[in-house]
Amino acid sequence: MEMKTLPITELRSLLAAVSDHGKQHLVEVEADLLQTTFLLSEAIEKLGASFMAVHEAVTEQQQVINALMEQHKFDPIETKKLEDFKQKIGNEVNAAVTGLQFQDLTSQLITRTIKRVNGLKDLLHELETHGNEIDPSHEHAAIAKFLEEISHSLHAGSHALSGGLRRSVDQHDMVTGDIELF
Amino acid sequence: MAKTILAVDDSGSLRQMVAFSLKAAGYDVVQAVDGQDGLDKAKEKTVDLVLTDQNMPIMDGLTLIKNLRGLGSYQKVPILMLTTESSDEMKAKGKAAGANGWLVKPFDPKRLIEVVQKVIG
Repeated sequence: MEMKTLPITELRSLLAAVSDHGKQHLVEVEADLLQTTFLLSEAIEKLGASFMAVHEAVTEQQQVINALMEQHKFDPIETKKLEDFKQKIGNEVNAAVTGLQFQDLTSQLITRTIKRVNGLKDLLHELETHGNEIDPSHEHAAIAKFLEEISHSLHAGSHALSGGLRRSVDQHDMVTGDIELF
Repeated sequence: MAKTILAVDDSGSLRQMVAFSLKAAGYDVVQAVDGQDGLDKAKEKTVDLVLTDQNMPIMDGLTLIKNLRGLGSYQKVPILMLTTESSDEMKAKGKAAGANGWLVKPFDPKRLIEVVQKVIG
């Protein structure tokens, strides 16, 4: 069946629905990301405080052990065991210091994602706004040109959004990053 | 007398870990929350080394380095970047701005101390 008139009202409705539903979901995504950031921040603050307290207590304990070792003659095997424990604690402290940095990296990624979500919301809003500008009284060719302009506008907006969101976190080495002295 | 290091990072947990590692190695640490705060603190007291993040609000690390290099007293003070950024392009920008080295996060405390000792002893 050949269509005599273009279904402009339906097209407008479709664009508005895509925009509305898309924005609704993106608002939820943004809220979840903000809550994730808050929870991660709380977790790392508590872990950091506990880490510092544990380290302080272990350091004081080590001082007591050192004093006891000076006062009393320890079995060489026991002394070796204490030295091994000290070494193991040192290694684990270093690993914890590295581990506690990952919140900073994830936080930067989440910030970037939130910016992308907001950019996407703007693009969807633009889609709806442009859709409302389509006039059913226009000729077929004029409407086709208008749709093409919307497409170009979305493409440009999307490109600008990506350009403004340079990837700054791309770590794969989970132990330590590269070091380069100039 | 202990040498002083200015640690600039907008992440509280990162500053805490940097300060913890450097203090354990015998250095004094001055902390700043962004590039502008780092610049203000660098003007208040002379430090032996600056360790700065790149992506921060208000003033980023590269801008901080350019500003510091513009101050007479900081023309020869070593400045190291400690950042998530790892691209050659960013490293080249850092070098051009006046950075003396580039460390990619996460850092291993032992390796951080080795680098700092190599740079300022």
